[in-house]
Amino acid sequence: MSNLEITIEFGGGAELLFDNKKAHNVSLPIKNKQWIIGDLLLWIKENLLKDRPELFLQDDSVRPGILVLVNDADWELMDTVNYVIQPKDKILFISTLHGG
Amino acid sequence: MCSVGDENFETEEEKCMPAGGKITLANTKCNKCRENDPIVVLRSKDAYCEACFLAGATHKFKALLGKHKLIRPNDKVLIHHQIGHPSTALLHFLRCGLDLTTHKKLRFDVIFVYVEDNSQFTVDYRKEVLKKIENEIKLFKFVIKFVSFNDYIVNNNKLGDIVDNPDNLTLNEDDKININNIFVSKLNKTNKNDILHIKKRNLLIEIAKNLNCKFILTPEISSDIASQLLGEISLGRGSHVPIDTGFCDDRNQDVKILRPLRLFDMKELAFYNKLNSLDPISIKQTEINPYSSVQDLMKKFVNDLQVNYPATVTTIMKTGDKLAINDNGKQKCQLCMGPILNSNEELSSAESTSFSHWVSTQKPDNSKEKSRQEKYDSILKHYKVSENNNYCYSCKKIEGSIKS
Repeated sequence: MSNLEITIEFGGGAELLFDNKKAHNVSLPIKNKQWIIGDLLLWIKENLLKDRPELFLQDDSVRPGILVLVNDADWELMDTVNYVIQPKDKILFISTLHGG
Repeated sequence: MCSVGDENFETEEEKCMPAGGKITLANTKCNKCRENDPIVVLRSKDAYCEACFLAGATHKFKALLGKHKLIRPNDKVLIHHQIGHPSTALLHFLRCGLDLTTHKKLRFDVIFVYVEDNSQFTVDYRKEVLKKIENEIKLFKFVIKFVSFNDYIVNNNKLGDIVDNPDNLTLNEDDKININNIFVSKLNKTNKNDILHIKKRNLLIEIAKNLNCKFILTPEISSDIASQLLGEISLGRGSHVPIDTGFCDDRNQDVKILRPLRLFDMKELAFYNKLNSLDPISIKQTEINPYSSVQDLMKKFVNDLQVNYPATVTTIMKTGDKLAINDNGKQKCQLCMGPILNSNEELSSAESTSFSHWVSTQKPDNSKEKSRQEKYDSILKHYKVSENNNYCYSCKKIEGSIKS
């Protein structure tokens, strides 16, 4: 079985935490259980997030003030961290905190 | 012990508020048209499809401006531009409103201003940010002017140059130190924030006058208003809540400040920008200790509560909206320009505090000849209501912190 290929995007300033790169094509290794967004957040923390994880994550979810969209729709419609990631999904994180 | 109504709560679990039903794509249609699949959930309960969401946001913006009927056709309006989702959404709202060809078209002239106040960053980074702002505004075919907040503060509140090209703005590496130098040393951050907030508002009014604008639109959103409101009350500015947090700030006769985004929350505007393919400028986040000032603490309090109780912000705002100024004083405070409330025959709470402070610092009169009543009368004779009536209650406490 091949890996789970998805696109992760960052906007609204969240990209500043990820080397200023807005789109990342990633391939997630297949594991016993299905990939849910909660797992993906941990994976991002391990693999993409360089420093200051507290600006992106809080407890088991994203920090309040960061919006998550799965294929351009609000993740609150998909049970947030429990959404089961599908191949070719586009997951977008928009920060609302980088202003002034 | 009273046990009325207790019988309904049998178990521990039932005492808690019931969890809201989960919204999922499978069981939900758009709350408005009831046909299309929703793409966004607002207030953790209302789901909307793209078309209904965008129409709703535009309507909310126009309805609030229209309802108050303050701006007349061809009036000049100054827009206080900032960095972030709200200002970018405001740009789009205005561009769309002005470009309409129907009778719903917005009929006023707008001019944007950016007040440069990024002294926490290096000059190079500040220049980069200014360039980005200029480009963002150009994209929308608007005119923008730049003003340095630092100049205004350091030159004793004199309006400096209003420039078209951000390259002509003077930026210095030690701007931050210069701003801090106007305060007496060791002034706490709460009072600094308070003073700078007032100064910035005064500066905006000066700019508006200079550019012949009768109105200023500012981009505060609902959570800003809610934390501002609680902050005002804790700083003794309760009487100014209606003008500081309401839709219209009319403390100045010539220039009114309007807050057209005060009913929006951040998620709404961020989604609005996303759906319109707008990506606001982002700047580095500066770390702020939420416990360093009353204003920062209020922001944290409101935002933290809002996460689990989505009605927090609206509850604070709707309660604040019921407050009104009993405007019996024609006198204006010299710092914040807000009305100073005239005291009635009875002492106000501020005066009572000051009287109590004064009495407790007097030497007790231990003479046996006078009765208690006589002692009280003689003390009262010596107490003078403070003559310094140029400032409102809250500003009286901070006006001494600025070096003159």
